[in-house]
Amino acid sequence: MTGTEGPGAATNIKRRPKAWEYMKDFAFALPALAMLLIFIYYPLVNSFYLSFTNWNMTRPNKEFIGLDNYEKLLTGDTFYKVLGITFTYTVFDVLLTLGIGLMLALLFNVTSRFFNFMRSVIFMPHYISMVIVSMVFLWIFNSQYGLMNELLKFLGLEPVDWLTNPKTALWVLIVVSVWKGVGFAMIIFIAGLRGIPLEYYEASSIDGASKWTQFRKITLPLLSPITLFLVVTNFISSMQVFQSVDVMTNGGPLESTKAMVYWIYEMAFAEFRTGRASALIIMFFIMIVLLTVLQMYVSRKKSITKGRFISKCLHP
Amino acid sequence: MLITALKTPHELRLAVPTFWPERLMWENFAEVFRKIPFWRYFANTAIQTVGIVVLQINVALMAAYAFAKGSFPGRDKLFLLVLAALIVPDQVTFVPVYVMMADLNWLNTFYALIVPHAASAYGIFLLRQTFRSIHNDVIEAAKVDGANRLQVLYRILTPMALPTVATLVVISFINSWNSYFWPLVMTNSNDMRVLTVGIAMMRDSIAGDEMLNFHYLMAASIIVIIPIILLFVFAQKYIIAAMSNSTFK
Repeated sequence: MTGTEGPGAATNIKRRPKAWEYMKDFAFALPALAMLLIFIYYPLVNSFYLSFTNWNMTRPNKEFIGLDNYEKLLTGDTFYKVLGITFTYTVFDVLLTLGIGLMLALLFNVTSRFFNFMRSVIFMPHYISMVIVSMVFLWIFNSQYGLMNELLKFLGLEPVDWLTNPKTALWVLIVVSVWKGVGFAMIIFIAGLRGIPLEYYEASSIDGASKWTQFRKITLPLLSPITLFLVVTNFISSMQVFQSVDVMTNGGPLESTKAMVYWIYEMAFAEFRTGRASALIIMFFIMIVLLTVLQMYVSRKKSITKGRFISKCLHP
Repeated sequence: MLITALKTPHELRLAVPTFWPERLMWENFAEVFRKIPFWRYFANTAIQTVGIVVLQINVALMAAYAFAKGSFPGRDKLFLLVLAALIVPDQVTFVPVYVMMADLNWLNTFYALIVPHAASAYGIFLLRQTFRSIHNDVIEAAKVDGANRLQVLYRILTPMALPTVATLVVISFINSWNSYFWPLVMTNSNDMRVLTVGIAMMRDSIAGDEMLNFHYLMAASIIVIIPIILLFVFAQKYIIAAMSNSTFK
């Protein structure tokens, strides 16, 4: 334990009692710990408790109803529909964001004034409020005046009711999220690309490897830890999609964009079914935890195999 | 299609002047201020943001100091508790916190917007990493000179960790400025709305004749984005460096 302190740290210069020193150090950690306990851990436990009750926020007492909330959710159709929507959104959002992000990273991994500027322009939306972004896309995909339909008309195609058609609305939301997220993926991929030693490319081109082979055999494998990081973080944040749904579609048309968090919000604050909403929250949280654990497990494995990848690349 | 999409953030800021005649545009801005209590929303957003940033940074500085350089029993186990908080999103805690705020009569106050976000697990994590890389001799030397813990933290460690602190200020500023879910849940009076919620409500109230009012929304949006763009331009280096670093660790 004291090894991490370095030499001399544990010796009490002023010879105060040790417990008193501990207390003083602990006091510095206390505000943060108290806040996390009150606003993260207690609510988490409380949500878990509420999920076994039929509380509706206005009722003064909570009645314990066991697993009833979970049973109702898991036997109803809506749960699977919402889960399907959330996963469709998440999977395509992640695939497109990372795919396009990687392409942009390969294109823009050049240091020059112009490319630096372009990188900033592409990266910027990551930091712009999703509400504002949604508003802009609401206008772009407006069926009467939107840019998208103007473009279709210009190309001689039929205009589409993007946001009022159950078949296209979810895709509009995916496009919005991809547009906002590619910059971040690009920046992280570029950081990854710059971490790959140039010797690997030199060595392999002496061996006669083509650019495509180099990409497949060197770039992709060596980017895999970063890709994994991006997949998991993007996956988790995609699953929490809420703002764009709330601003652009309100879960409609015909509930075709009702994603998990929107449903939770609706259940808790429009229908006031606090107990059932809590059950949904707990199931949602378990999914996030499982994903995080999966990432930690896989990334531990990856770092072991990484060495083998590199030696394979160098000596095929 | 993607190229069009990629261009728009850029165009959006320029698009309003090109799509509408110059003269009309300024009227749009004026109209926004007449239609919604824009400056009220702006002030609310600013107070919320400054409150969260100041609290988060100070709480994180102190905790990071304790976890990096302090010694007390269970230090590393408690740090795991901090790290674990990273995976709990707002959407998981909001119902009990809402009830808590209601019991305290804090709904529709800045307390409900600011206090629950006082501790940032990410901030503590990042600052702890930075503090750990600072040599203990520096702290010992200061202690010999008679500095107490607070002085060591604020006079010596904080200036040495300035790039990380700046990064955290920027990230925390942007997150709170753009936050939507939390203020939407915790406030319902018009006086307490922040910009994001106010603008979304503005859209709802004009949903019928959307197109007639879209330029107002855009005008309002531009004002919301300006602080973020300014911050981004000045702090871009920090942000990108911090993000790249935290990925590899």
